[in-house]
Amino acid sequence: MKPPAVGYARAGDVQEAVGLLAEHGTDSKVLAGGQSLVPLLSFRLARPSVLVDVNPIGDLAYIREDDGALVIGATTRQRDVELSPVVAEAVPMLPEALRHVGHVTNRNRGTVGGSVAHADSAAELPTVVTCLGGEIVVEGPRGRRTIAAEDYFTGTFTTATEYDELLTAVRFPRLPAGTGVAVEELARRHGDFAIVAAFAAVHLGPDGTVDLVRLGLSGVDSVPRRLHEAEAALLGTRPTAEAITAAAATAPNTIRPSSDVHAPAGYRREMAELLIRRAITTASERSEVTT
Amino acid sequence: MTIAEPVQNPSRYTGSPIRRTEDPRLLAGRGQYVDDVTVPKMIEAAVLRSPLAHARITGIDVSRARELPGVFDVLVGEELAAVAGPQPVIWTPITDQRIARTRALAVDRVRWVGQAVAAVAAVDRYVAEDALELIEVDYEPLPVVADLDAALAPDAPTLYDDWPDNVTGSQTYRAGEPEEAFDSADVVVSGSFTHGRAFGCPLEPRGCIVNWDAFENTLDLWLSTQSPNLARDLLSEVFGVPVHKIRVRTPNLGGGFGNKFDFYGEEVIAAVLSHRTGRPVKLIEDRSDSFVATSHSRDQRLDFEMALRRDGTIVGLRGVSYGVLGGAFGTVGSGPPWASVLTSMGPYKIPNLDLTVTPVLTNRAPYGSYRGWGAPKGNIVHERLIEFAARELGMDRTEIRRKNFVPPEEFPYFSGAAFTYDSGRYADCLDLALAKVQELGWPQQQERARAEGRSVGIGYSFHIEPSAYGPSRIMNLVGLAHSGFDEAVVRMDSVGKITIYSGQINMGQGTHTIYAQLAADTLGVPMDDIVVVTGDTDSCPYTGYGTGGSRAAPLGGAAILRASGRLRAKILRVAAELLEASADDLEIENGKISVKGAPGHSVSTRDVGDAAYRRLLDRLPENEMPTLEEVDVFDPPNMATSYGCTALLVEVDRGTGRVTLLDCVQAHDCGTVINPMLVDGQLAGGLAQALGGALLEELVYDEEAQLRTASFMDYLLPTALDIPPFHFVHQETPAPDIPGGIKGVGEAGTIAGVSLVASAIDDALSDLGVAVTRFPVTPPRLVELIRDAEQRKEGAQ
Amino acid sequence: MSDVQVSDKRTVSVTINGHVYTAEVAPRVTLADFLRKECGLTGTHLGCEHGVCGACTIMLDGRTARACLMLAVQVDGCTITTVEGLARNGELNPLQQAFWDNHGLQCGFCTSGMLMCATEFLEQNPKPTGEEVREAISGNLCRCTGYASIVKSVLDAADRMAADEGAR
Repeated sequence: MKPPAVGYARAGDVQEAVGLLAEHGTDSKVLAGGQSLVPLLSFRLARPSVLVDVNPIGDLAYIREDDGALVIGATTRQRDVELSPVVAEAVPMLPEALRHVGHVTNRNRGTVGGSVAHADSAAELPTVVTCLGGEIVVEGPRGRRTIAAEDYFTGTFTTATEYDELLTAVRFPRLPAGTGVAVEELARRHGDFAIVAAFAAVHLGPDGTVDLVRLGLSGVDSVPRRLHEAEAALLGTRPTAEAITAAAATAPNTIRPSSDVHAPAGYRREMAELLIRRAITTASERSEVTT
Repeated sequence: MTIAEPVQNPSRYTGSPIRRTEDPRLLAGRGQYVDDVTVPKMIEAAVLRSPLAHARITGIDVSRARELPGVFDVLVGEELAAVAGPQPVIWTPITDQRIARTRALAVDRVRWVGQAVAAVAAVDRYVAEDALELIEVDYEPLPVVADLDAALAPDAPTLYDDWPDNVTGSQTYRAGEPEEAFDSADVVVSGSFTHGRAFGCPLEPRGCIVNWDAFENTLDLWLSTQSPNLARDLLSEVFGVPVHKIRVRTPNLGGGFGNKFDFYGEEVIAAVLSHRTGRPVKLIEDRSDSFVATSHSRDQRLDFEMALRRDGTIVGLRGVSYGVLGGAFGTVGSGPPWASVLTSMGPYKIPNLDLTVTPVLTNRAPYGSYRGWGAPKGNIVHERLIEFAARELGMDRTEIRRKNFVPPEEFPYFSGAAFTYDSGRYADCLDLALAKVQELGWPQQQERARAEGRSVGIGYSFHIEPSAYGPSRIMNLVGLAHSGFDEAVVRMDSVGKITIYSGQINMGQGTHTIYAQLAADTLGVPMDDIVVVTGDTDSCPYTGYGTGGSRAAPLGGAAILRASGRLRAKILRVAAELLEASADDLEIENGKISVKGAPGHSVSTRDVGDAAYRRLLDRLPENEMPTLEEVDVFDPPNMATSYGCTALLVEVDRGTGRVTLLDCVQAHDCGTVINPMLVDGQLAGGLAQALGGALLEELVYDEEAQLRTASFMDYLLPTALDIPPFHFVHQETPAPDIPGGIKGVGEAGTIAGVSLVASAIDDALSDLGVAVTRFPVTPPRLVELIRDAEQRKEGAQ
Repeated sequence: MSDVQVSDKRTVSVTINGHVYTAEVAPRVTLADFLRKECGLTGTHLGCEHGVCGACTIMLDGRTARACLMLAVQVDGCTITTVEGLARNGELNPLQQAFWDNHGLQCGFCTSGMLMCATEFLEQNPKPTGEEVREAISGNLCRCTGYASIVKSVLDAADRMAADEGAR
């Protein structure tokens, strides 16, 4: 389990990284936290000719607020996001979700950009950014693009990033104060990739009806899923058990789970409905009516 | 026999929770595991493995690999076969069994995914792996036998062309009149139980460094093995090199769990590469290799039924244990599935038995040793069936067990199939567990949870652990081509310090500590004065079998006790000369030999050592042989059967099928407890493995017999969050046939823990009547059981 | 053409347990292999080489990292502590002592990683509960102990360290 021979270059800034990617094309691979890439190298399932190490790009490790969005630089360590009071206040779903991402040691190295760019549909961060309606910022020789998360994830481990582009930031819309969030993850063990994970953010208006709802699922499709139908069903209703059950019941129709060694597709479909119901229930309980 | 009361041990060390002598260097990162060892001029090897489960090899081209800079040698099957015999099989318990033998490298056919096909030796492992990618193998696929049903199908393809089918043989053990018992029974309960493939999975993968000196014809090995003597004998068998020219050294072992008992092809491959290159060759199994190259185990189906009278008395047990073997026999052949049959009656008196073992070949990796061997599945048979019977008869689960226990006064008790249990107080042990469960308030917890709509259950399992394997001649009689005795050397040196030499291996269980405890108490010296040496066939004595079968404490311990006893006598004789007293009047305490009642009149062990080694004149008795060394060989007259009652508190999420383990109790009896802290460690570790096997771990093969769980992302070892807290309580019923009264404890947890989980889940879902029969109980499988039970219940209403 | 050099070998200079190690390494060499083979620090163990078992956990610039998930070329200029750096002058530190006293290890193979993981955890959470300890070490696999004694060891270490702190 030793990596194959590979070239290595340290990118000092985004421009250098993009230059290296452009030069080496699809044979190159961005090395961020390495929590997914290095095992692929060791199993010799990935064999790039050049690794472009973006860890030295200090400018990409940041958490800041910008125009109603929380912007997280690509090389920001997941652990820093998890522990950030700014993040907890603006997008409380993030720390909640991050606690399910591997273990502390993985999150110490793992980056937000790396996880999003890796685009594992069973992972947590891609679904968080998708269900919240976030955006992905990429930079390349043709400049900077901001891509809606739902357009960014295009298939299993594939994204709208071109080979010569680097993911530089992820933008999460700020959730209004009083929003209740919940993450219900079913994994074989804590820290494993989800069999199914459900994400919910619910905000109640002054009359106690839902005036903002964001729902998402991991592990149920080739891409992270946002549950528009369920959101629509819930919006404007009081989050009663009946309303939540009805909204959750729309979930199985909008996903295409596959079978693997841990769970058959049918089970995933069933769990998707159950877990999103539980997540909505908890998020609703946690939401505070704001005036 | 009479039942001895718990031993009141007056000695200082035995029975005390002494912290381990092994630990400081391990904690400091100064341990030495096989991959930490480097020897001069060493090169490194890697193995190319078959990607197909069943295929003919029609060609191998290694030319490009040979040309890669840094490569020393590339080895293929035919070349290996020219110098190495087939892999030895040491257990053949079934009369007229067909033995599927293989070689360390496949020659013209592969029979499982991961079978070794070629090997490379290179400057380092990186280059060796590069070279593997340059080897081209042409395979012609053959029909695949992926599982038991496929293997038993009437038109099944056969793995071996000269075999009529894939069944290796069958053996039946009968006692009493089973047909009559079943015909006249009031109740018969049955089950078809399946345990998936799992393996010991020590965290340190296996490895070796082999130096075969072609000019001296000596083989010098560093090997991560639990059985260095066996490895030496088997290397001799494979290569025809005499045993005295083979040295096996075992450094620290990063866990063994039976997996490192077996003798593997990699040590043979490394030896041949060493012979050809003239260099010591290190071959470390990496994690990826481990999933296909280390013995698999557990894979078994057990179709059994139990006959009872209405009052709950068991009158008969019958059934078949199918061992789902791999494409060739491992070192221990079909031993584990065979042992399941022998333990399937457990602690219960069952007069009528009809028990069959039928091991079958499939295109899976070879089957071998894993802590617990066959017993965890034997336990599933008796513990699941007795609970099914309790349900059928409306009896209490613990009362039906109590009713059928072998009572204390009937020991030694012949089980009806091979084993004679030496001693036991089963009902007392059950009561100990029940009392602890009450003390912890589980029933109240369960009641409260149920009132809140949560599904909390309490499970029980009573297990027996035949340990101290075993009387050599009986082992030979049941098909083991090896012995079961243990030899120890206890030596006092010229300055009065002690060195113990044992053929046992220290793989994490703390043998060095307990051996020092036993010897210190017997000799009357401080533990600090004792060094234990293991892991070198050139300096350590022979042990039968190896370190496995829960034998290191009882058999290694007994040999050390007896040798130490004789050495003590000699020390006293020498001291008597020095003190001008009678040896009978002397005592040794803390390394000081004095006349009883006159502590001022004394000599030290240092004085005795000096008298026996250096200045003998007028000090060593005339008729004494110089030096202070005693050897003992202990071959047990019978095995020692430990036992325990385990209880588990679980919560089941009916929605997801996820099972959470909340708390666990084990009442246990392993005879004399040498070190309670270490015994608890053994129990806990074994239980964790069983709980992992019951809920998480499975080597899943698909219909093409491809292994789908060949990484730690998919083969799920339990983490700290998956394992409950443990509470251990002990009773001590000394082993009557083992000096010191010691019974083994290494496998207890693995035997008890699997049926235990099923019992607890069933209890949590008792309103539905769920009966768990398949392991591991994964969330999707449990949801299916729950849905089926709900439907049955609705249908019945 | 980028002006950044793609290299087949790089010089790495890294401070490990207070000593500076400098070596030429190929980019593909993992940090774990570098520590074990170049630096002779074999206390960092390889249990899986794909980042799941935690046996190779080290401390990198004050945080734990899995040495099998990093390349040696990445640690140029960094400061690393491995298990060999925990004991000083032949004395086990309080965490190691606690593992010894509570039978927190059997074969010792996972122990290096456990100790590094627990070191970071106790820095961040000096007064943990048993459940918090379990979660903290859940990324480090142990096949011997069943974890109970490790949890006990870490809790005991927390008490000792608090007592040491109080004594100061």
